[in-house]
Amino acid sequence: MTSPGPFAYVGKPTPSREAPRFVRGRGTFVDDIKLPGMLHAVIGRSPHAHARILSADGSRAARHPGVEAVVTSPEHVELTSPFRPGRYASGLGTHVPEYAMAAGKVRYVGEPVCALAASDRATAEDALSEIEVLYETLEAVTSPAQAVAPGAPLLFDEVGSNEVWRNAISYGDVEAAFREAEVVVRHTLSMHRYSSTPLEPFACVASYEKGGGTGALTVWCNAQAPEVIHDALRETLGIDDVRVVITDIGGSFGQKIHLIRKYVVITALLSMRCGKPVKWAEDRTEHLMAGGHACGQEFEVEAAVKRDGTVLGLRVREVDDVGGSLSTATIHFTNKLNNLFNTYRVGAISLEGTAVVTNKCPVVPNRGIGKPAMCFVWERTMDRIAAELGMDRLEVRLKNVVPTGAFPYTTPSGNIYDSGDYEGLLHTAAERMGYDELKAEQARARTDGRYLGIGIAMGIEPGGRNLSRDLALLPDVKGIPGSGGTSGATLRIERSGSVTVTLGVPSSGQGHETTAAQVVAEVLRIPPERVRVASTFDTTASPWGGASTNSGNNFHLYEIGAVHGAATQLRDKLLALAASVLGLPADELSFESDGVVRSKADPARKTGLVELARLAYNNTVLVPDGMEPGLQTTFMYRFPHAQPFAVPDEQRRVRAQFTFPASVHMALVEVDVSTGRVDVLRYLVVGDNGTIINPGVVEGQVIGSAAHGISVALGEAFAYGSDGQLLTRTLRDYGKSTTLTTPSIEVEHRGMPSPFTPLGQKAAGEGAAIPSPAAIASAVEDALEPLGVRVRDLPLGPESVWRLINGLPERVFD
Amino acid sequence: MKHHVQIEVNGRPRDDWVEERELLVTYLRETLGLTGTHVGCVVGECGACSVHLDGALVKSCLVLAVQAGGRSVRTVEGLGRGGELDAVQASFVDAYGVQCGYCTPGMLLAAHALLDRNPDPDEADVRRALAGNVCMCTGYVQIVRAVLDAARRMRAPAGSERR
Ligand code: FES
Ligand code: FES
Repeated sequence: MTSPGPFAYVGKPTPSREAPRFVRGRGTFVDDIKLPGMLHAVIGRSPHAHARILSADGSRAARHPGVEAVVTSPEHVELTSPFRPGRYASGLGTHVPEYAMAAGKVRYVGEPVCALAASDRATAEDALSEIEVLYETLEAVTSPAQAVAPGAPLLFDEVGSNEVWRNAISYGDVEAAFREAEVVVRHTLSMHRYSSTPLEPFACVASYEKGGGTGALTVWCNAQAPEVIHDALRETLGIDDVRVVITDIGGSFGQKIHLIRKYVVITALLSMRCGKPVKWAEDRTEHLMAGGHACGQEFEVEAAVKRDGTVLGLRVREVDDVGGSLSTATIHFTNKLNNLFNTYRVGAISLEGTAVVTNKCPVVPNRGIGKPAMCFVWERTMDRIAAELGMDRLEVRLKNVVPTGAFPYTTPSGNIYDSGDYEGLLHTAAERMGYDELKAEQARARTDGRYLGIGIAMGIEPGGRNLSRDLALLPDVKGIPGSGGTSGATLRIERSGSVTVTLGVPSSGQGHETTAAQVVAEVLRIPPERVRVASTFDTTASPWGGASTNSGNNFHLYEIGAVHGAATQLRDKLLALAASVLGLPADELSFESDGVVRSKADPARKTGLVELARLAYNNTVLVPDGMEPGLQTTFMYRFPHAQPFAVPDEQRRVRAQFTFPASVHMALVEVDVSTGRVDVLRYLVVGDNGTIINPGVVEGQVIGSAAHGISVALGEAFAYGSDGQLLTRTLRDYGKSTTLTTPSIEVEHRGMPSPFTPLGQKAAGEGAAIPSPAAIASAVEDALEPLGVRVRDLPLGPESVWRLINGLPERVFD
Repeated sequence: MKHHVQIEVNGRPRDDWVEERELLVTYLRETLGLTGTHVGCVVGECGACSVHLDGALVKSCLVLAVQAGGRSVRTVEGLGRGGELDAVQASFVDAYGVQCGYCTPGMLLAAHALLDRNPDPDEADVRRALAGNVCMCTGYVQIVRAVLDAARRMRAPAGSERR
């Protein structure tokens, strides 16, 4: 264990390294790429939610002037192989082959059924209407209840049921908890379908060249996880020579991990068919229909409670509406292992769940993947307990949080919370928000007929994934299909003394270049301006990075670990080299700022970065025997404190993730009871993100993810008609918040360094999107308390709130 | 059918033939290679394609290229001078108002349109002026701060600016 700091650059608001190119309009997004002879693709999509494809004929479109390649679903199935089942569908019993295009049947509106490439986009769009696809329409199921009703049409005949998965796990003695309970609190809860709708939709350029073996394929795409694209292209197209290049990404949030692979495969297939580079850029409606949604999740919750507010155990039953694909059917359930106990010291929990397929867009990882809902379950339950026991909501939480003296704290499921001060977070938030004063103000406002509400929610933001997690849910699986995680960083000290860094992951707005440069600067004691971090990821140039997304919140553990490790290796090498140049033992040298290495005893004897770098590359005869010349290294990071529970033990305890930031959110809202409109008057996040590397970057991550969670709670939502048609096909219909509806979110850092990481860093990315939906629900319920309203379901758009106020059925959306 | 258009783009006269159905944003991006203007929706709902048309803020996905004939267009590439950032650009950088950068060019042009008519806006003015520009990353707080800071820098007497 290390104690971090004091730091020279870590923790300082060093200027953004990415921003200058973006404010000049000089980012390089995929749609900005132009290759000689490049064609433009469009994709034909199913207009039906559920139908059998009878035939598809692209011959007329193929004759359209300017069209150079056409692929229809039956041809696609013939020409490609299915994707291999992946970790988002862990434990599914029956494997149904899934291709990039619909195979035989369409199961959601927008599922791709054909594609073509033409000289320009307009021509491609004209020609697309000439592809004829004949369907036999089938009845659509749009809710889990409908999907599991007797006689419901089956999405996957091979599976034999629309309930495609069922699992249960429990930790601690749940039965005993309920036997000892003095009060049992019960309610049903739900979260709806939403997405983080990155402003840049999916895009891809594929360039295939025939050649030795299977030929060579290069794709530029805005995928977050290069490994997913690499695997997909090899699996489906059988091409071994695949290069994936990822330039700037216009936001990702998990949305660009999974379904994007379908479109990269389709674009690549078009390029293979015509032998020319092909570009495809998704439009907004396509993205909303078929780019992936967060899962609709329904819960039945029971809490075993003592009269003093102590929670003894929780029983949760979950139903996931996973949409029209099996490929991500289990991820919203399995990911709940990551924050299963939230911030609480509770001894027992059972989680039981089913995944139900419906004729809606497939679900995908999205800012927390099930963690926001797990947090919603806990936080709505804490509020419920407070209400039923007549306690204050803060008090109930203080009673149950992991006490400050208990860290590192091992949860009954095996997560080890590295450090934390949850009581401190709650107190700070209450103080800064003026909790007691606000309660007085609320009481006054009520006498004036105004409905103010104060919301509280707290959550953790687990960081750094562990690939063995799902084994806890699948005890029958033999051996270890995966465990831990790793990512690499390559560092090179140039002969000028500047440093070049290549990361194993692409960046999509999280400030990776800025942050990585600070860490290198810290270790090598040079100004961050002397460190250049590559902005483009390229499988032919970048180190391996398996932990590629912030959605697993991997950056701060794996990438920063790799950067720190590589920089430390080079620093040690510089010292060894300096020792040989100066003829002194390394331990008599000190590493000073600006790359100066000096004798401790005789400060006049010194050397520096430039001199050492020149020697290392250009004067290899002077490089000591046994030392590799040059100053370049690649470091692959592995979390060194992964034990115990790196793999599940016999009680199925496993470390789902490795670092545990936490935060308390408080909201002040006003509800207009005549319209149901909710205004967020104040919103505060008090967070522990461990050692913060760049406060400006982290503040942006916190505010951005909180803003999304607030927007999710206040009404952004996918709505479907009973025929399975998506009704919310534009951003406005979907209900994305704007500057006018997003509050001026306040952030206070109260960081507790992690004892397990080199700098004490934890994670900072999706975190604030986890408790924010619950905080808004809490505030709205509090505002409407005099009316006896209980908030169980999201979203809380004006219509839903108005219905609650007027005692009408709560659910507006399926 | 193609139409002949003369458009002044970032101070330079252009002379081109455009399809009648071609959008201004497509003309800027594809014909002129000015890829700083982005597309997030093509239906006027996100603001990523915002440019100035004769000094007024427009969404270039809602304007046909032929409609820009005889008029002047300013895009993000026309901001700043000789590679130096202007006050709004510099404020966005300094205030961490940029995350993925996709909304940034549109935000900058919306901010300029505001500051052109109101050099001393308050937070509510800024929020109103940016209401047509969606950002999925930042939650707007740092963007709003950047615009307020830019207004301060632009009001400061010459020579007293930080950059
Ligand atoms: S692309 Fe023009 S407003 Fe969205
Ligand atoms: S910075 Fe990504 S959309 Fe605004």
